[in-house]
Amino acid sequence: MTDFQNPILPRMAYITNIIDETSDTKTFKVEFEGGGKGDFLHEPGQCAMLSIPGVGEAMISITSSPTFKDFLEFTIKRVGRLTTVIHQLEVGDQIGIRGPYGNNFPYKLLEGKDILFIAGGFALAPLRSLINYVLDDEHRKDYGKVDIIYGARSVDDLCFKRELFENWPKKKDTQIFTTIDRPEEGWDGHVAFVPTYLEELQPSPENKYALTCGPPIMIKFVLQNLQKLGYQDDHVITTLEMRMKCGIGKCGRCNIGSKYVCLDGPVFFLDQLKQLPQEY
Amino acid sequence: MAVYKKITKDNLVQFLQELTKDRILIAPVREHELVSFSPVADAGKVDFTFQNSFVPPKSWFFPQTEQIFSFRIEDGKYELSAPSLPGGTVLFGVHPCDLKSILALDPVFDGKFDDNYYCTRRKNTIIIGLGCQSVGRNCFCFKVGGGPLESNGADIFLTPTGGDFLAEGVTNQGTDLINKHSRFFSDSSAEQVDKEKREGTDRLLKQSTGLKGDFNLPKVKAFLDANYEIPYWEDLSYRCLGCGICTYLCPTCHCFDINDYARSGLEGERIRCWDSCQFKDFTLMAGGHNPRPSKKERVRNRFMHKFKYHEDRYNIFGCVGCGRCVQKCPVNIDPRKIILDLQEVAGND
Amino acid sequence: MKGIEEQIRATSSQLLAAGDVQLVIGYGAGSDNSKTMPVFIKRAEDVGKLVFNPLCVSNLANYLLHWNNFEGKIAIVVKGCDSRSIIRLLQDKQIEREKIVVLGVNCPGQLKSGQAEAKIPVEAVLSEATVDNGGIKLQTSGGLITFSLEEGLLEKCRQCESSRPVVSDYLFGEKGFEADKAALQFNDVAALEGAPLEEKSRYWDKYFERCLRCYACRNSCPACSCRECVFDMVEPDWVAKTVNLSDNTAFHMIRAFHVAGRCTDCGECERVCPAEIPLRILNRKIIKDIKELFGAPMPGSDLEALPALSFYAVNDPESQN
Repeated sequence: MTDFQNPILPRMAYITNIIDETSDTKTFKVEFEGGGKGDFLHEPGQCAMLSIPGVGEAMISITSSPTFKDFLEFTIKRVGRLTTVIHQLEVGDQIGIRGPYGNNFPYKLLEGKDILFIAGGFALAPLRSLINYVLDDEHRKDYGKVDIIYGARSVDDLCFKRELFENWPKKKDTQIFTTIDRPEEGWDGHVAFVPTYLEELQPSPENKYALTCGPPIMIKFVLQNLQKLGYQDDHVITTLEMRMKCGIGKCGRCNIGSKYVCLDGPVFFLDQLKQLPQEY
Repeated sequence: MAVYKKITKDNLVQFLQELTKDRILIAPVREHELVSFSPVADAGKVDFTFQNSFVPPKSWFFPQTEQIFSFRIEDGKYELSAPSLPGGTVLFGVHPCDLKSILALDPVFDGKFDDNYYCTRRKNTIIIGLGCQSVGRNCFCFKVGGGPLESNGADIFLTPTGGDFLAEGVTNQGTDLINKHSRFFSDSSAEQVDKEKREGTDRLLKQSTGLKGDFNLPKVKAFLDANYEIPYWEDLSYRCLGCGICTYLCPTCHCFDINDYARSGLEGERIRCWDSCQFKDFTLMAGGHNPRPSKKERVRNRFMHKFKYHEDRYNIFGCVGCGRCVQKCPVNIDPRKIILDLQEVAGND
Repeated sequence: MKGIEEQIRATSSQLLAAGDVQLVIGYGAGSDNSKTMPVFIKRAEDVGKLVFNPLCVSNLANYLLHWNNFEGKIAIVVKGCDSRSIIRLLQDKQIEREKIVVLGVNCPGQLKSGQAEAKIPVEAVLSEATVDNGGIKLQTSGGLITFSLEEGLLEKCRQCESSRPVVSDYLFGEKGFEADKAALQFNDVAALEGAPLEEKSRYWDKYFERCLRCYACRNSCPACSCRECVFDMVEPDWVAKTVNLSDNTAFHMIRAFHVAGRCTDCGECERVCPAEIPLRILNRKIIKDIKELFGAPMPGSDLEALPALSFYAVNDPESQN
């Protein structure tokens, strides 16, 4: 039946839990038949093609850390036909999966360094795999201080609230800076756009890598501000998104110059990004 | 071990007919004025004199429409099944430009992730190359590193000599096939084949009626490596209609789209179809952002792919000089002229 | 035809120099001398790139859609057949009359591309061309090349309704080609109409089967002005992307019906089709039916006459029911 040698043929897995993150974003826990993630072993930052046969397929970042041994997690925003159908799925329903695809965050290179994560809205999802990897009890000692600057339009738009407000702040040498775009009743936290908050906090670039994911306009100003703060281009890491169909470097639509985002990305250092044509 | 033989036209037809006994034969046939590579049961129908097929033979390995899998839902569970792929096949009559294009496609579909569909067909197919009997006015293989009698990429290569052919076993597989059917062949030698190819090539190139001007591909590549934004691409894009002719007829283009079709909620299929980077929605993202929003970016992408990106990734130039796009582009976007123009622009820098 | 070419250049030069237009869309020499290509001239000193000869087979009107956000004024070279597209684009309010300067040519007739390629050497530079009852004569640097009208003249020229542009601001050329009245009677369509159903089906199947779905017919069509085309839509997927006889047939039927009443028989779709599908027969069948049913003239032949399928009359017999 299912040919595991065929990379564009999905395997059918099961949804074992669903968490409502925001009004339009849900996190799906996925396991293969009989439980667990089998031989589907990924690195932080990698993606997978999720699909519903008869509806379509899309590249989604794997938000769970490889240190979560028994399942995969995908945080999916409702934007089109496929994601709308996925949002209607229930626990016990099947979903097609193939992968893992793409490169990953350079977690080995980050060992011994401080890490600054900067994310906006739903785009905390790809960074979360690395955050949970770094904060995992087994790996925490390998890394320095972890700062997370995370913002969203409103409180409702903040994802992973439980980790954000309960789990992560308890970790050693870990600070969380959460912000929302506009004041809101019942919110006594910070109010500012992410790039502005970054400017206010002035995190030192000393012995530190910055990783950022978010909407293009946020990325643009975050990168500018990191530069002002003295971060070198080879110490700033981000991810790119392009339309994809095959995910394995053949269908030809996610190229930026000679690079395929599906194979050579999604993770790029800023200095690599500056070598690419501005066609993304 | 290479072998060198002769075969008459009549014996070639019989040889091909013999091969149909245990293999699929895909060969050029003329139908309604156009030559296409199609399954052939009667080898007598094969066209040996065509200049260029309408659609390149890539369509055998990478069909324009292909099912990835079909599915049905039974007892609430998806049953997915991938189609069975063709077994032993002989692809006959591939001209040198198209042979080279297959070598350019191999590293795309092979690689870190093997494309099961392409690779299975490729593995199961013996390719019999056919040297050209004339060089058309749109042909320019010999300007991009090829030649009308180049055997690279074939398992067996036939060099036309008047009405008959010299045959080389280029790969072991090809040699074995010739040896197995030796009754159709008579003896020749490496020297004779070599001589005929050398002299034939000279003769053919002298007859060439195409656009004059020498190509300096490394110069073009170096220029493109260093120059991304040049006014040339926008000027060129003005006349582009944004259709898919050039990409669909290009033997090295390989972009595809994947779509799902469900006849009911309970069964359906996932299909891949050729797609074109010249179509305006090709890179359009779900949120409405388009990284290549105008014809300028799309036309540039096509030629950067041919002259630079393909070489960057796979170390093979992406254009084999078959001339199909030259012939069929309705607005005369001619890669030969683009190469000459870029050389000129590069020279002025 | 040298005279026409010189007049086009002179007028374009004046218009550009005076700032009356900022762009001229015309024909230029192709990479191969058996072809011309569309050229886009923005400076008076570049008008020498403009040519006019029997190789100017394409209809440039479609480019007005590409340039409809252009701030300046555009001069465009049109033949008699192409001029109907201008009228149609005006009627559909796709272009504004005051932003367009029409450089009309009384068209002497155009040469079949296949014939041109077969006889004109790549390097043979054209110096003069004439078309008359004696045939098509091209004076080139490689000598005189002649074609009889029978072998050389485009089918659409033989069926030409008006070689004189129906709209023009400048008119070049003395007298255009005059088609034989008998050729105007839709004989090609009638021949196929009369065939048995199975034969018609076989006729179209063999062509639709080899359609590549490259959409060149749509992209070259001056009547295809939709910003979002039904064939590109994925949600919902009205027509599957799969290429097979059934979906290809659906594509061609929808395309033909979509341009019904607006198609001016400029023939671009058939000219550009790489699979050589005789699309004009399909379009002309609909034009013929509309003509017979509504007494409507060829779309685009009269600015004031709205297309039969695009307006509503209260005294329409059908509205009485």
